[in-house]
Amino acid sequence: MQTTLAWIVLVLPLLGGITLVAWPGEPPRAATRLIGIGSILIAFALAVTIFVSLLMNAPDDRTFTSGLYEWISIGGTSLDLSILVDPLSVMMMLIITGVGFLIHLFSAEYMQNDRDYRRFFAEMNLFVFSMLLLVLAGNFFFLIVGWGFVGLASYLLIGFWYERPAAVAAAKKAFVMNVIGDAGLVLGVLLILRQLGTLDYQQAFANADQLGANSGTALAVCLLLFVGAAAKSAQIPLHTWLPDAMEGPTPVSALIHAATMVTAGVYLIVRCHALFQMSELAGQIIAVIGAATLLMAATVALQQVDIKRVLAWSTVSQIGYMIMAAGLGAYSAAMFHLLMHAFFKACLFLAAGIVIHALHDEQSLNKMGGLKKYLRVAYFGMGMGCLAIAGFPGFDAFFSKDDILATSLAAGPVGVACWIIGVVGAFLTALYMFRLLFRAFFGPEPTGGYAHAPHPSKWWMAVPVIILGVLSFVGGWIQVPFGWTGISDWLAPVLADVQHPLEATNAQVWLTIGFSTAAALGGIALAWWLFAADPQRRIRLAAVARGPREVMREAYLFDEAYDDVFIEPGRELGTVLLDEVEPKGPQGLITGTAAVIRDTARVVSASENGFVRSYAFAMIAGLAVAGVILAIVVAGVA
Amino acid sequence: MIVPMSAYIVLSIVLLGLGMLGVMRRRNPLLLLLSIELMLNAGNILLIGFSRQWNDPAGQIFALVVMVVAAAEVVIGLGLVVAVFRSRMNLDVDEMSSMKG
Repeated sequence: MQTTLAWIVLVLPLLGGITLVAWPGEPPRAATRLIGIGSILIAFALAVTIFVSLLMNAPDDRTFTSGLYEWISIGGTSLDLSILVDPLSVMMMLIITGVGFLIHLFSAEYMQNDRDYRRFFAEMNLFVFSMLLLVLAGNFFFLIVGWGFVGLASYLLIGFWYERPAAVAAAKKAFVMNVIGDAGLVLGVLLILRQLGTLDYQQAFANADQLGANSGTALAVCLLLFVGAAAKSAQIPLHTWLPDAMEGPTPVSALIHAATMVTAGVYLIVRCHALFQMSELAGQIIAVIGAATLLMAATVALQQVDIKRVLAWSTVSQIGYMIMAAGLGAYSAAMFHLLMHAFFKACLFLAAGIVIHALHDEQSLNKMGGLKKYLRVAYFGMGMGCLAIAGFPGFDAFFSKDDILATSLAAGPVGVACWIIGVVGAFLTALYMFRLLFRAFFGPEPTGGYAHAPHPSKWWMAVPVIILGVLSFVGGWIQVPFGWTGISDWLAPVLADVQHPLEATNAQVWLTIGFSTAAALGGIALAWWLFAADPQRRIRLAAVARGPREVMREAYLFDEAYDDVFIEPGRELGTVLLDEVEPKGPQGLITGTAAVIRDTARVVSASENGFVRSYAFAMIAGLAVAGVILAIVVAGVA
Repeated sequence: MIVPMSAYIVLSIVLLGLGMLGVMRRRNPLLLLLSIELMLNAGNILLIGFSRQWNDPAGQIFALVVMVVAAAEVVIGLGLVVAVFRSRMNLDVDEMSSMKG
């Protein structure tokens, strides 16, 4: 029953998207809304049904597989079109359809004035389908299919406003970066197929020890899979596409580039934890990359003035936390933070969307200020989101981030280093998020007034923000230290084969709560002092540490370095090949061949002069020659 | 009177030579066709001559077949000549060289 429902959940968004595309002419907006949002709502309702029915089963009876048919059978390996319904995939399914539904609802109003209303919903539904395929896939092959499809949907939606050159460039960049990751993922999966002889999740994970603990093969498999995860989840060094992806419409940023797709890398590591725990070194490399990313992105977020770019860098930073946790082996903590992040980051993006919509596409913090008395709903959403992401006691990230950090402390020396970076990151998170809140909603109105008089949003846009804002507060209560452990219990069947589960001691938990709360409150206080208490202070302090801040604003010059190392040499190589090699090499070969044929043809065609009499002469001469040869042969024989 | 075999051969060679010369020298397609007929009939004479020589009727049957084929060929040839004459008002095979390489 669960798998049948899961198949329906998977197909519904696809059907919705196809219906929208196949609709003859331009469908009425009401019908577009109904199909686009309705298909996701029904999918969400069915996902909840699956969730409840799994809850009623015993914990060790919550894993189901269903193969629709055998797609390929070759050399003893069969490949089924199959799905895997287990607590992990159901959790992802709830996030995708639930948050997806709220964001679709928001989009109905946000995109109201766009002429490509139908295309927007069709592409959003394509995305939801692809993401569901990614998380429901029962083997690595369909994981790759879903992985590729979300990349396509992301490309289409980043470049949604294709008249803008910046949007097209950003879409292309995201696609290229993601293809690097896809290549790594495919190579990793091929290596799994070669070593373990199967692509099926459960068979591969059951036989994971055939890779050899801490062997070079295990390291290669893990790192190749991580290349895929890093590209999708925007980790160093493949992170540069995500901030540019903010060229897409804001609901797209909320759904794809905050709540769901960019966390696919975390999902991949948690899903394949049986492989990743075969290589301790790979886990440590991943944890260090995650930690480096979270710290780097948090400092960059401090210096951005575009409201969406702050949120984008904050997303990079928060996924850094999750990747760090997944690398250290704190899988349930990573998934806990993933869920909480989906709530508060979607809330922040939608609140930012209300602001941008109200100010008619104004995204610069310099043109904002004092908005709290105009945009109450956005203020509520942004406030709740900021408290949640900063880890204010009682809010979402207070529980999930502390879960990550406390578990890190139990993970040896690398874990302790990650813990320190994580606490510093928590301080920076509070600082940059409240900088955003204070600069947009507090203080004086911008000199010269707003770009457009802010108008309050309609209920379509308000309701999702309010729901997500409330979830940003109550969501974290699903797992409370010393209280109950909702997420760990739920994921226990999936994580049952973890060899060394990390358990934080009481002292480690208290230490973490103390430090992270201090960091959060310190960050909020500093942000208040810098940006809210005295609006002029920011301007007076503009000269402080100008150089380092400039580097942060330019995101540590990753883009420039990639330009210098890859793009410029590539372009120069292309110029050399075009101007020097190509005319002499391939082009010379082709024109040379053509010239030989042309000259030969000129000689031969001279005989084809069109005079019947000369043809007759040639025939008779030929006959005479043949006669002479015949005579010689006959004479010779005789 | 018995015609010697050598007479058939000489007549045939003379006719064939005349036909060849005509095909190579003449420009009028009608005369070209006549020359081709001449060469065909040179062959026919040889066939009939050897048929008599060896007392084998197959040669005469071949000669009849050749005459039928020649008649068919002339029909097509004259048809072409008429068509060309209608479209060009000129009968010179050297002018008909638009298909040259």
